[in-house]
Amino acid sequence: MILIKCPYCGERDQSEFSNGGEAHVIRPKNPGSLSDKDWGEYVFYRNNPKGIFYERWVHSHGCKKWFNAVRNTSTDQILRVYKVNEKRPDLSDFKNTLKSPSGEPLVGSGNFAVKK
Amino acid sequence: MSAINNNCEYISKKQIKIIFDGKTYEAYDGDTIASALLRNNIRLVGRSFKYHRPRGIYTCGIEEPNALVQIISEHNEPNTRATIKRVYDGMEITSQNRWPSLRYDFGAINNILSPIFSAGFYYKTFMGPKGFWKNLYEPLIRRSAGLGKPPKNFRSKSTHQYHNTDVVIIGGGLSGLAAAKKFINTKYKVLLIEQDSYLGGVLKNSNKIKTINGLTPQEWISETEELILNSKNINILKNTLVTTYNFTNHLIALEDKFAGKKIDLNKSELTLHKIRTSNTIIANGHIERFISFRNNDLPGVMLASSFEKYIHRYGVVPEKEPVIFTNNSSSLSLLKTLISLGCKPKAYVDSRKKDNIETEIKKILKDKEIPFFSDAEIEGCDGNKKVETIFIRQGKSFTKLKSSMLCVSGGYNPDIHLFTQSKGLVKWDKNILSFKPDTPFQKTITLGSTSGNYNFKKLCDEINEKLSIFKTKKVSLDINLNVPNKFSIKELWETKKKNNSNWSKSFIDLHNDVTTKDLKQAITEGFDRIEHLKRYTTNSMGTDQGKISSINSLAIVSKMLKKEISEVGTTTYRPPYAPLSFAAIAGRSTYEFYDPERKTSIHSWHLKNNAVFEDVGQWKRPWYFKASENETMHQAVQRESKMLRENAGILDGSTLGKIEIKGRDALEFMNLMYTNAFSKMKPMTSRYAMMLGEDGMIKDDGIICKISDQHFIATTTSSGAPKVLADMEEYLQTEWPHLQVYLNSITEQFSTFNISGPKTREIMMKVFPNIDFSNDAFPFMTFKNFDYKETKIRIMRASFTGELGYEIYIPPKFGLELWEEIFSCGKEYNLIPYGTETMHLLRAEKGYIVIGQETDGTVTPIDLNYNWMIGKNKKDFIGKRSLSRPDTSREDRKQLVGLLPINKKDIIEEGQHIVELNELPKKITNPIKYLGHVSSGYHSPNLNHSIGLAMIRGGKNLLGQKFFVTATGKTKNIPVEIVNPVFIDPENKRLTS
Ligand SMILES: [Zn+2]
Repeated sequence: MILIKCPYCGERDQSEFSNGGEAHVIRPKNPGSLSDKDWGEYVFYRNNPKGIFYERWVHSHGCKKWFNAVRNTSTDQILRVYKVNEKRPDLSDFKNTLKSPSGEPLVGSGNFAVKK
Repeated sequence: MSAINNNCEYISKKQIKIIFDGKTYEAYDGDTIASALLRNNIRLVGRSFKYHRPRGIYTCGIEEPNALVQIISEHNEPNTRATIKRVYDGMEITSQNRWPSLRYDFGAINNILSPIFSAGFYYKTFMGPKGFWKNLYEPLIRRSAGLGKPPKNFRSKSTHQYHNTDVVIIGGGLSGLAAAKKFINTKYKVLLIEQDSYLGGVLKNSNKIKTINGLTPQEWISETEELILNSKNINILKNTLVTTYNFTNHLIALEDKFAGKKIDLNKSELTLHKIRTSNTIIANGHIERFISFRNNDLPGVMLASSFEKYIHRYGVVPEKEPVIFTNNSSSLSLLKTLISLGCKPKAYVDSRKKDNIETEIKKILKDKEIPFFSDAEIEGCDGNKKVETIFIRQGKSFTKLKSSMLCVSGGYNPDIHLFTQSKGLVKWDKNILSFKPDTPFQKTITLGSTSGNYNFKKLCDEINEKLSIFKTKKVSLDINLNVPNKFSIKELWETKKKNNSNWSKSFIDLHNDVTTKDLKQAITEGFDRIEHLKRYTTNSMGTDQGKISSINSLAIVSKMLKKEISEVGTTTYRPPYAPLSFAAIAGRSTYEFYDPERKTSIHSWHLKNNAVFEDVGQWKRPWYFKASENETMHQAVQRESKMLRENAGILDGSTLGKIEIKGRDALEFMNLMYTNAFSKMKPMTSRYAMMLGEDGMIKDDGIICKISDQHFIATTTSSGAPKVLADMEEYLQTEWPHLQVYLNSITEQFSTFNISGPKTREIMMKVFPNIDFSNDAFPFMTFKNFDYKETKIRIMRASFTGELGYEIYIPPKFGLELWEEIFSCGKEYNLIPYGTETMHLLRAEKGYIVIGQETDGTVTPIDLNYNWMIGKNKKDFIGKRSLSRPDTSREDRKQLVGLLPINKKDIIEEGQHIVELNELPKKITNPIKYLGHVSSGYHSPNLNHSIGLAMIRGGKNLLGQKFFVTATGKTKNIPVEIVNPVFIDPENKRLTS
């Protein structure tokens, strides 16, 4: 159970929120002008990286507001939250968050020996 | 060989009675089940999991692997640890996993057959043939290998409590109390959590410590507790066990509100504490581990520190003359305790070399003339359901001793369970021969023996240093010891066996009956990774999670693999730390409180009129109304359907979702959300509309009422309402924030009645004499607002049955009154109430679809032949672009058609397949070509034969063709004709009459 900081309400329990998948996937202004391939990619294709991920959340059992968050998917740490109309933070802001290339934490499991 | 009582301040001298396996025993108020049984010289308390071997009490705490019992007087609660469960007068307990009785257990034959029960036995033996697992193996295994019986008619009351604190201290022993002392009268909000009903930990469980700051341990505990209680910022929770350490310092702890008391059925038995904290201090100490030797599971073998805890904490000396077997310096404490009580151990066996053994131990043994074996070990023990003879190996010589108890100490493990749950890293410490916390992942501090510090003299410095991040004063601890300050241990995990027999076993996991031989076998078979080995042998997978043995198994395995223990690593520690009952997790969310029930304003009327209810989402909806006691559902639905088409019927449609859409850009928004075009629609008219996903598939449908370009009311399906509102809100916030639109759920603001049938107009005129219901004044798909008594109502001309119909919207407060008024007016027209099943039948006769029945998330409006609903001239709406994707515009997609049986007596069943074969082959060798499925199938009382709606590949082009529908339990298929899916009134004459 992680804590998520709603930009409107403050820190709340994860159970109050719903995840909305990858952020910054903008609905095309003119879908009719898109090729089948491009439209198909908008509808069906999403990134699912290990490490830094820009994603959408909604405070569904609270203010019902959508917002964006930057989460390290390998540690579940939410590194930044920002409103929908705010600028996407630069990836370089989180350079120091990743202790290993894939984002796998150095610390984080009792089973260290097997991981070597 | 018998137990004696010791004076102890934690046990009241009040005698009570408990019942164990049908016999009554005397106990003291304050006893645990285990201490009470030991007091009565009961050593055999259970049978083991797999081999049904006799087992006794091994420990004195949460780590107990053997002494699990069933509490008859507490809803039959199974698998209760006798070593922590406190007794009360009249408590009734039984032993587990034995038949017919504990002493004569039939399943013990498993022990003789044990060579076939070795590692991986379940995986190797119970493999096929198909169906055998479910019908034969599993029930058999569950009956013979297992724990207690599940409770019956169980209804526990537990509550949940939430905390937000700055600091949580887990463990109220010496370290925890000293840490808490630092926070007295500070700004920090602190929660001190202790599993026992008394604070003090090692101070009350042993005589390791003589004095602290010049006070006896008991005086120091009392003084400290009082200081803490007087400090407003610290709260103490006793009888509370922290079971879980989650991410972001979230802890879960279980409090037993009735420890040592008979449960009061009117009060909450358990409290589950959900704690969010900034910092966690883990000071829950250590757990003693055992040593594996031949028959190390016999009743009478007990951990040395547990034996000592029974003396100090529970005032019972389980045996006056036990044999002590140790590989470390800590057992001096037990030796001194026994001597001070005038008891004399039968022998003291220390695996350490004589030179390495503390002088004080040697002096006591010499003075008291206790047989002393250094550089020696216990080879094994024998006896019938109890320890009788003990074999000591010293070099090449063996000594045979008679004793009924054997106290074992294999060293101490820091209790790292919670620390590793928090994702902290642990590291192997050669000095204590155990894993200890290394790098924390969260804001976690470990203190005292949890951190691997076994040196009491260094505790004070450790606490002051590690807690220096807090603004607190220094604490001082001047500790005077009864045991050597320096911990000394010699590596010893398993002793050598003299000879082999099937009866004698050297156990590594007492709970799951895993022997050291099983570990060897698993490694031989290639399971050399610790996580694989654990699952293959089930080592440390019991409810005790191998608390006294898992490190031993790592050590034994690393020796076999010729690796360092740190290379082998530990298995993953997962919550909970100790089993916690589902009742505690569920809290108040049980039975009727599990999921709220939503009832309409007419619910009481439905009850009075024999409605049978159906759950639609959280709603209770009348499914059908029983006209008489013996009427079946089929009869009721046939009757309701026929009556409605002849006269009139009314349905409580209050559960339909209703969303109000308002604002400057409401029209543009609705045009984007729904497939239909709303621009040219006149105010005060309504339209059947559909909502798609971006993939072009139907998500929901409903009727849209247009009040003006700035104001719409949309209805949704009963269960789809929250999702539709959430989707609308999402698009408004994320994609079209420039649109000025406000959404509001008004589902519960209106009771809704759907009245339809040929006599409807007459009934409506009688209920609302001032309203003109003529076709010209009130045409199909229009709506109007009216004043009605002291409220306002909205009436819409619409129908889901295909008959003339109206929908009435009224505030719920007046709903029931109007409903009853309609019935009194409708009586002369034979108005009937009908339920959802009749609604489904009638709409199927008319060829109307139901979301989730005809559609399943892969159906477009084109598949349903609903092209007329698509606003083709609209530039954009959700899902429009997808309707022209190659896959969505395929000709051979499954499309909606109607089915008629060629033999009118045949019944078309819902869910059956449509095929080309008139009969299924006896033996199916090749896949049978599948054309589609029946999505709705009913017997139509108005046509007097079966009808069906079906989704068939390329169905639109198959009208008039003949196919076959499969039937339950038959190889002969039903011949059907593909027809237009509208069976009644295709010209809509009734609808618009
Ligand atoms: Zn919020």
